[in-house]
Amino acid sequence: MNPPIFIIIMLTVISGTMIVVTTSHWLLVWIGFEMNLLAIIPILMKKYNPRAMEAATKYFLTQAAASMILMMWIIINLLHSGQWTVLKDLNPMASIMMTTALAMKLGLAPFHFWVPEVTQGISMSSGLILLTWQKIAPLSILYQISSTINPNLILTMSILSVMIGGWGGLNQTQLRKIMAYSSIAHMGWMTAIMMYSPTMMILNLTIYIIMTLTTFMLFMHNSTTTTASLSQTWNKTPLITSLILVLMMSLGGLPPLSGFIPKWMIIQELTKNELIMMPTLLAMTALLNLYFYMRLTYTTALTMFPSNNSMKMKWRFECTKKMTFLPPLVVMSTMLLPLAPMLSILD
Amino acid sequence: MMTYIVFILSTVFVVSFVSFSSKPSPIYGGFGLIVAGGIGCGIVLNFGGSFLGLMVFLIYLGGMLVVFGYTTAMATEPYPEAWTSNKAVLAMFITGVLAELLTACYILKEDEVEVVFKFNGAGDWVIYDTGDSGFFSEEAMGIAALYSYGTWLVVVNGWSLLIGVLVIMEVTRGN
Repeated sequence: MNPPIFIIIMLTVISGTMIVVTTSHWLLVWIGFEMNLLAIIPILMKKYNPRAMEAATKYFLTQAAASMILMMWIIINLLHSGQWTVLKDLNPMASIMMTTALAMKLGLAPFHFWVPEVTQGISMSSGLILLTWQKIAPLSILYQISSTINPNLILTMSILSVMIGGWGGLNQTQLRKIMAYSSIAHMGWMTAIMMYSPTMMILNLTIYIIMTLTTFMLFMHNSTTTTASLSQTWNKTPLITSLILVLMMSLGGLPPLSGFIPKWMIIQELTKNELIMMPTLLAMTALLNLYFYMRLTYTTALTMFPSNNSMKMKWRFECTKKMTFLPPLVVMSTMLLPLAPMLSILD
Repeated sequence: MMTYIVFILSTVFVVSFVSFSSKPSPIYGGFGLIVAGGIGCGIVLNFGGSFLGLMVFLIYLGGMLVVFGYTTAMATEPYPEAWTSNKAVLAMFITGVLAELLTACYILKEDEVEVVFKFNGAGDWVIYDTGDSGFFSEEAMGIAALYSYGTWLVVVNGWSLLIGVLVIMEVTRGN
């Protein structure tokens, strides 16, 4: 894509999300979502093959339908309350339907079907933006309406998302689909805690974005999109092999890595609110996620995956891709746990 | 009939939406859009928004739909599907119209109807002289406010329109 056009379009993606996050008027929320959606379509369609076009079309249709539902219930909320302020309490029915619309935008179960298909059809860098930046705007609106969300709805969607993220990712070998199911599961964790402590949702979002950013950048560095080609990393860039090992364990939520902080905090907040079965189920189904991350680690770092002899003697070229900020990101996605006591500043 | 004009217009509005949602060829869908635009203008006029209603005709029908009509004429197929061409489109059209007529009859018969929110039969569609809007037309004041207090909104809208054009050109570039 032409560089000036690319810059303008990225600027619009960023400003669309910023408008949603910073506004206090429901109409501007909808405008921000639509600006974001419109501008990200050419980013999803960077490669002009039919698969990318199909993925961009699917993304557009689901997100536009969600925006329409959101707009309808914004207007019905205006009918009942007479005002457009976002932070004022919502009509209960409007709250349910707006939560549904935002769940469609996030890819929570049972509206998760578009996530693997869209993520698989687009390039790795577009998938990166889709799974990290695009989650910020809907979660910010859920944060603002968190006091009036119906618990039955959000907790059902959250536990279903973690389950589907876990079981769905088990049969995948394509890395983008694995990351898509990982995103579904993490969204489930985030929405579980939304009603009880929205701050922990922000914590989970931050750590999830850092880890997913790092994972995608490591995959882009290797130019791999499948498990089989990831398993040849030991020959191309041995350093990345060990980084993937630690990163996958962090994504799975194992202590002593940073991925453990949000899970620990969420389970703590849920138990403080006298829910016992919910965090048990969440923690047990998160183990399914851990299984497929461990499978990636196993084939990449712990064994030499079967391949023919010519693949074992590759030339080692210097990486020409611009991996800005990758070393600090790796450090942040694995070594933040000792800083967890700093969370006491929230009290 | 004039007391219930908004109700009648709203019903025909939904029927014209059904006419293009039943997916005939785009040229026939464009006809449905023209009718919908005209009726929408009528509904807005009944609420006192004379300027905005005529804006619908001018900008929407006279600008956007004309461009749509020309592009559809350029990209048309040799045998376009009308509403009676195949059973699928006809069935969807009839289903939509039937659903709307049944809803309209239900609203007219019952005293108080609660679908998403309560409304008292067709009485809610009659425009009474509620509230004191003073000597100024609210709609003209709203438009004036957009261009004075709503500078940020104008900037956002203008930027979105520019981005719309850029995105369309990027998407249809194809290389």
